[in-house]
Amino acid sequence: MKVLLALALLGLGGLLGLGIAGLWPRPEPQDPEPVARAWGVANAVAAVVLGVRLWDTLFEVLVYVVAMVGVRFFLGGLRWRGELPPVAETPLLRRAADLLLGPILVFALYLAASGHLGPGGGFPAGALLGSALLLLALAKGVERLSQELYEPRLESLEYLAVALLLFLGAVVLIFLVRAPAAFIAANLLIALEVAIGAWAVLHRFASARGEV
Amino acid sequence: MESLSALALAVALALLGLWVLVGRRNLVWKLLGLNVASGGSILFLVALSHRPGARPPILGLGPGPAADALPQALVLTAIVIHFATLALALALVILLTERRHTQDSRKLEEEEG
Repeated sequence: MKVLLALALLGLGGLLGLGIAGLWPRPEPQDPEPVARAWGVANAVAAVVLGVRLWDTLFEVLVYVVAMVGVRFFLGGLRWRGELPPVAETPLLRRAADLLLGPILVFALYLAASGHLGPGGGFPAGALLGSALLLLALAKGVERLSQELYEPRLESLEYLAVALLLFLGAVVLIFLVRAPAAFIAANLLIALEVAIGAWAVLHRFASARGEV
Repeated sequence: MESLSALALAVALALLGLWVLVGRRNLVWKLLGLNVASGGSILFLVALSHRPGARPPILGLGPGPAADALPQALVLTAIVIHFATLALALALVILLTERRHTQDSRKLEEEEG
């Protein structure tokens, strides 16, 4: 069985190697600048993600939200029923979190708001916000942070962000809006939604671990 | 060509990940293999978008050919989808472990049959 698998994988690797070996000419990549100019932004990747291939991005966000709903649904019933282990008091981590939280938040906001001009965009900004929440959770404990954030309100905020994003996408698609303002708003909404989804995964995996 | 080594590394990573995904019996190991294979495919797309001497696909960064923007946008989508599906799959593995007390795919199949 393993021999067959190894042979199949080696054959696949050989085919891919032939493909990249340069025996056949690769198609010349197109110049992305006309796309960026047509959408009125400087970052061609943002023009592709939020302009030319907007349908892809909208459905990607839908897949993300559905996966997060699935994680909440499946792990919601697996509450840890015993006493939770106490969070170690670490002054160093508390101070570091206090110091770093502001710069991280500002940088995430900057990445989301300037994603149409340079490197950045909604998804990296959302990941950065999620890691800021991870830092806070390490410093003060996941359950306490969850109570302070008031989880149900956060969840409805996520759904509101997705609904606004779909509305914005519909406006862009129907009225063919080509303005940087639409890019900024979409990036901010995507950042919010990705950050709340990442926090949902973090919280559920940390606190709903069942009895195993 | 500079990107050839990156492409070869990407193919090697994808093969390694597929080997673990199919060959191992533990579900968590399978997901780890899927993770590595996905990393290989992401590296493959990024390396394909590269041209020798290319600059980032952003306006006003000087002369020269720009890297292709389409594979980079695809990679942006792929990373996020990969994160979401991996989280969902791990949640399902946790649920399965809670109900059936095993992560061995062969044992799970035998119990089923």
